[in-house]
Formats: sequence, C-alpha cells, structure tokens
Amino acid sequence: MATGAGAGPGLPQVRGPAVGGEQLPTGRDLSEASRFSCAALCAVSLSRLFPEAEHSSFRTEWVAGLVKWLDLSETVLPTLTAFASGLGGEDTDSFTQVLLKDPVVEKDPVVLTQDLLSFSLKDGYYDARARALVRHVSSSFPVSSEELHLLEETFLESLKESREEESETAESSRKKKEKLRKWKRYLLIGLATVGGGTVIGLTGGLAAPLVAAGAATVIGSAGTAALGSAAGIAVMTSLFGVAGAGLTGYKMMKRVGAIEEFMFLPLTEGRQLHVTIAITGWLASGRYRTFSAPWAALAHSREQYCLAWETSYLMELGNALETILSGLINMVAQEALKYTVLSGIMTALTWPASLLTVATVIDNPWGVCLHRSAAVGRHLAHILLSRQQGRRPVSLIGFSLGARVIYFCLREMSQEKDCQGIIEDAILLGAPVEGGAEHWEPFRKVVSGRIVNGYCRGDWLLSFVYRTSSVQLCVAGLQPVLLQDRRMENVDLSSVVSGHLDYAKQMDIILKAVGIHTKPGWNEKSVLLAPHSLPQEEPPQAGASSSSEKATHEHEQTQGPKPGDTPRVATRTNPSQTQVPTELGQSDGTALPPAASPTGSSQICQHGVDTNPLGCPDCASETQD
Amino acid sequence: MDEDVLTTLKILIIGESGVGKSSLLLRFTDDTFDPELAATIGVDFKVKTISVDGNKAKLAIWDTAGQERFRTLTPSYYRGAQGVILVYDVTRRDTFVKLDNWLNELETYCTRNDIVNMLVGNKIDKENREVDRNEGLKFARKHSMLFIEASAKTCDGVQCAFEELVEKIIQTPGLWESENQNKGVKLSHRDEAHGGGACGGYCSVL
Repeated sequence: MATGAGAGPGLPQVRGPAVGGEQLPTGRDLSEASRFSCAALCAVSLSRLFPEAEHSSFRTEWVAGLVKWLDLSETVLPTLTAFASGLGGEDTDSFTQVLLKDPVVEKDPVVLTQDLLSFSLKDGYYDARARALVRHVSSSFPVSSEELHLLEETFLESLKESREEESETAESSRKKKEKLRKWKRYLLIGLATVGGGTVIGLTGGLAAPLVAAGAATVIGSAGTAALGSAAGIAVMTSLFGVAGAGLTGYKMMKRVGAIEEFMFLPLTEGRQLHVTIAITGWLASGRYRTFSAPWAALAHSREQYCLAWETSYLMELGNALETILSGLINMVAQEALKYTVLSGIMTALTWPASLLTVATVIDNPWGVCLHRSAAVGRHLAHILLSRQQGRRPVSLIGFSLGARVIYFCLREMSQEKDCQGIIEDAILLGAPVEGGAEHWEPFRKVVSGRIVNGYCRGDWLLSFVYRTSSVQLCVAGLQPVLLQDRRMENVDLSSVVSGHLDYAKQMDIILKAVGIHTKPGWNEKSVLLAPHSLPQEEPPQAGASSSSEKATHEHEQTQGPKPGDTPRVATRTNPSQTQVPTELGQSDGTALPPAASPTGSSQICQHGVDTNPLGCPDCASETQD
Repeated sequence: MDEDVLTTLKILIIGESGVGKSSLLLRFTDDTFDPELAATIGVDFKVKTISVDGNKAKLAIWDTAGQERFRTLTPSYYRGAQGVILVYDVTRRDTFVKLDNWLNELETYCTRNDIVNMLVGNKIDKENREVDRNEGLKFARKHSMLFIEASAKTCDGVQCAFEELVEKIIQTPGLWESENQNKGVKLSHRDEAHGGGACGGYCSVL
C-alpha cells in the first residue's frame, strides 16, 4: 500500500517508470511533423465519424487534450479544431504517409495505437467514441482489432499489476478470498442456470479483484508506457464503476414498472475495457432454456454479460413459438409461408386460416413480451446512463425480442442528455421493431460504432406475430433499415436463418456473418476460463438445490452436460449445428466439464468454407460490405 | 452565419520558411503583427469573410509550414484550392530562387488547371533588399501570376493582395461556381481533375 503512494497522483507529467529499464516509445517520441499528423489525422477522423452537432464538444475537447498529450504547440489548436469540425482536411492520406515514414512508427505502428489508447484512458473514462476513433485510426496503419484488444488487455494488466505490487503483504490472503469468491460465484451461477431460468440474485458476485485495495499508484510500471498522469486506482474505479463489480453487481432493488425480473449474468469471466451485453429473445425448452445458451460462441469482449429478464414470459413465448413451428404448422406450409413472405405479398388479411386458428397460442405471450421488452429496454437505458457498468464502452447484441430491448434502450437513451459515448456497437438481429429509417435516426446520437440490423426476408413467423402490432409490414427484422449513416449496416441473414427460431440456434454463424468475433476454439477457452470448475459431483448437487423451483430440473438431469458426456458430443457429424456451445453455455462455468466439447472447436473455426454458407468471418464481412 | 456569402474559397499560402507567410495571414485576418512569430507547425488555418465588388466571399485560408520537415504534409492542402499565394522575401534572394520549386510542386499537386496564383514579395519595409521589384514582376509575368509587393509589418499591400486574388477568382466562374453547387459531392469532383496543368489560361494584371 505504501510503496506506490509516494509516486502518487501528484506528478501529472511524469511517465510511469519503466520496468527492467526498457521504455517503449510513446507518441511524444515522434517527430513534430508526425505528432502534428497524428493529431490532424485524429481530428479529421473525428469529424468524419461524428459529424453530428451533439458530438461537437467531444470533438473539440478531445483534440485539445490530444494537442497537450502529444506536446504540440498551442498554436496548432485552431487548425486542429477546424479539422475536427469538418473544415478542410479532405485528405488524410498524407498524414498517414508522414506517420508511416516516421522511424518510430515504421518500426512498430502499434506505438500510435497504444499512445492514443493511453490518451483515451488517462482520465479513467473510456468513451465509446474514443474507442471507435482509435479503432478507425489504427486500421489505417494497419493495426488489427486483435492487436487493439491485446493492447487493451495489456493496459488492464498493467493497471492490475500496479495495484498488486503495492499490496504484496495482503496479497496471499486476498487471493485466497478471491478463489473462494470465484467458487461461490460458480456455485451461484450454477444454481441460477440449472434451475432452468430462475436466476438467483448475485449481489456483487463478481468480486472486485482489481479495485479492492484503496491505495493509489502511478500506472506504467509494467513497461507499457501507460497512463502517466493518472493514478491507477482512480482510473480503475472510474472505468469499472465504483464497486468494481461490473454489471453483475447490479440488482434491481425494487420492481420497476412492469418488470419482474432484470439481472445481468456473466457470460465470461474476464475483465475488459469494454463490455458486451447480450440479450436473449426467448427461452425455449431443451438446450435453449437459459439466457446464456445462444451466446456460447460470442467473443466480442472478454467481459460479457447476458441480460436475464422476464423468464416466465419468455419461456411461455418460446414454448408458443415452438408449438407453432413443430406441431401446428407442417413443413410444407412453413415453406409456403416463407416464400409468401419473401415475395412480399403478405398482408394481415392473407394469412392462411390454419395459422390464424393457432394465433391465440402465440398472440398473448407475444403481446406481453412485446410490452415487457420495451419496458426492459427503457430500464436498461437508465442503468447504462447511470454508468453501472463503469465508464467504459458497452456493446449491445440481441436477437428477436432481445433486439427489441436494445431498440427501446437506444431510443430511451437518445432522449436523454449525456447519452453519447456509452454505446459502442448495437447489433439487432431479427428485431420486431419499426424498420423505418426515421425511427432509427436518433440512434446516430447514441451509438459510436456500428448499428447492425440483421434481418431475414423469409422470416414468416416474425411477420406473422408482428402482424397485429403494425399495419404495414415494415419490420426491421424482415428488411434492411435504410438509414443513411456510416454506422448503419444491414446484414441479410436469409441464407442462415430459415425461421425465427434459428436466431438462437444459428447464433454462432450469425455472429460471424455480422462481423462479431466468435470464440475460435471456444471450448478450449472455456476450459481455461473455468480453471476452478467444480468437482464432478457438483452439478447434480447444484441441480438438486434448485429442483424445487423449476420443473425443468428433469431436463437438466437428462440433457445437461455430464462430465463424461464427451463421446456423445464427439460423435456429432455436422459441425454447423454446433449444439455443443449451448450445452457449455448453459452450464456457464459451473458444471463445465473441461472435456465436454472437444470436437466443436476445430470444426467451427475451420468450417468457414464448407459449412458456413457465408464463409469464414473475414470473407463474410467482406461480402457484406 | 453565412447566408449572404457568395461562395467559400480555399486559399493556400506557400513559400520558403521565414518569408512571412503567417505574418501576412495574421495581418490580413487579425490586423496584428508579431515580429517574434514562431514557426508554423504543420499548417495554420483561418477563415475570414471579405467583400469584393459587393460580393461576399468566405475565405478558408491555409497557411502552410515552410520548414522542410513539414514539407511532406503540404501536398494534401493543394486539393481543391482555388487560389494560391506564393510568398518570397525580398531581402533573401534564395527564397526567390526557390520559387521554381514551389511552382513545380504546385503543378504536381494542384487538382485544377485554372487556379489563380499570386506572387507576393514580402518585407519591403526592410532596407537590405536583394530582389528587385522588376525581377518579381518579370517572374510573375512569365508564369502568368498576379504580382504584388507587400509588408506584413507596415500593412503595405496585404489587404490588396487578398482582395485582388479573390476578385480574380470570382471573375473566373468555372473556378468556384461548380464547387459551390456541388458541395455534397466534393470527392468525385476532386478526383476527376487530378494532375491537370497549372497556371495557364490568362494574363497577369500587373
């Protein structure tokens, strides 16, 4: 505690001491022309990325800060401000060229990204716009997004280390505690997921290993030229929220409006400088009965949560959807419906009578869930606005009603002040929301990165259930949203999604199609993520404790992943089905048997060419462009 | 703010280091003079609205850095410029001799061929003149440029230089009208005219 305090926050301009005598170059080591180019490049990029008037103060402040950070003369400020406000600077090539010729950058272009990252983080506030900008600028050097991720992780590590160094004495006991906590957390999650959707409140279950101690140190001791001017703890606290507990610490204290359940469940264990929240659209029986199940392959960030909301209604909805698909409508009719929807001749009046007779099965839960999802979305907006997640960017991804939650979340946020710089990407898949560009327009203000609308033209189920909500068939989940903005990306998922229920089942392919990073060898990674996974006798135990709560307990017993389940998984022949992740996902660390899914990984990461109709993620993103 | 502004013109100031480019600009925009003005970093950018023949024009003036280390940045500013002010120091012959280099660069990077150029001999208030007025005039004629001698310190000819340049640009409607109408599609507009010859097409006024 005491060792770091001496170097404390009082030395704003001093870079952190280098460990091992090695100091990596920073932005200040560039030549003046390069530094100017760097600032100019950022300024011009800012004006391109965020031309909206709402972002003008961010642009000017950012540029002004950068000029100081790079040790540039004040005289360049007016010029750079002019750049940032969109005047001049049509051409960034020359700036890039100058930078690339700089000996420091030439040697390692990551220096620039790192420096911009340090600058973005120096106040303990990672703005989503800053991240989008760093990503944009880095891409021209070319620094890949993986490298950026790595850098962010390095920063996190250096922040952690700086803290741990000064509290060495308490380290061992704390580590013990953390281990215990982890166990406890697994247990709790286990209870939560095994119960088939009933979620047990995790009050700060994800402990704050990073921010626990109170002393401040100067960051940068890890050899990365990190945040020289800010105290590490302050930065960490600010970035990760006061409790450091992240979103799992959030608990709905009282019933908010009509919402009965609202909870964040961790999908991954890691900590990251940006958070991803996945929102499930319904809960089916079987392997998709948990909120986390569809997101097993999601690897957008190392810190991912899924939102648990309104379990009972979503289960009812899921059951109704499945009933319609499996029982009441035969395959021929489904195909026919698909093409009717595809051809666009469907109106509310032309639905086949056979379908309308079963409409009562679905209309009620659908109506309730439509209503609830909007309320949940609004609630989520206020949680994000109040920075429960800390001051770092959040990406939202959801399918079906989960996408509707996002839609209403963004809409609610857009009506608030200070809504900028929180959301990085928003990915809406098969969203039962208005598809008119005017409804999406306000999102430009809120979202810094991408707004992705994944749609399926032949999704007759969506078009059917949405028929009562909207007279015209202008549903985002069925057609592209024609918003003229660089953020807006429409991805036609028709070839992947053949029915609305496929959004959950084909999520890993969909994620690749919309350019979201998926776990390359996610099963191996899961093993790594759960090093303390419970002993083999644990799963039944956990299941038993919650058996009284849900009847689905039996499913767990029969279908749940047993540690010895490997052969069954291994014999799967069609990798594109990828049922494996779902089993992993629902166990989510608790009962995760390290060897549960050995086959999936290699097939999934290679399956780009043959089984994924959209090709490998890289190709997919290219074709989508 | 600019409802009655006829057009926005992009003016570029180039020339060797220390000839007084920034001082000229400062005199023109703020009517001040600083003998200790620091070297420009990268580029300086100022906006000023002036009225010529009853037409209001908004000038976006780019004052480039003359120093060699920033030279690589200069080409990017040439794009879309309607007028260029080429400055030399009448007390330093080397800055006059190097004008040819600047003209070469202009030719290489300018995206239009009807761009208006003006040659300005600065610092005429100083005693130790090395470049005669007639030399400058001759050079300007040879390269179809406007010519004026000025002093940022005494304010001599500065206003005149900018006004004359703007007047000439406005008299060349092809130079600014299309630009004005196609504000939304600037990119395509630029690309097509790349690499055209420079400085031809009309006579000097002086």
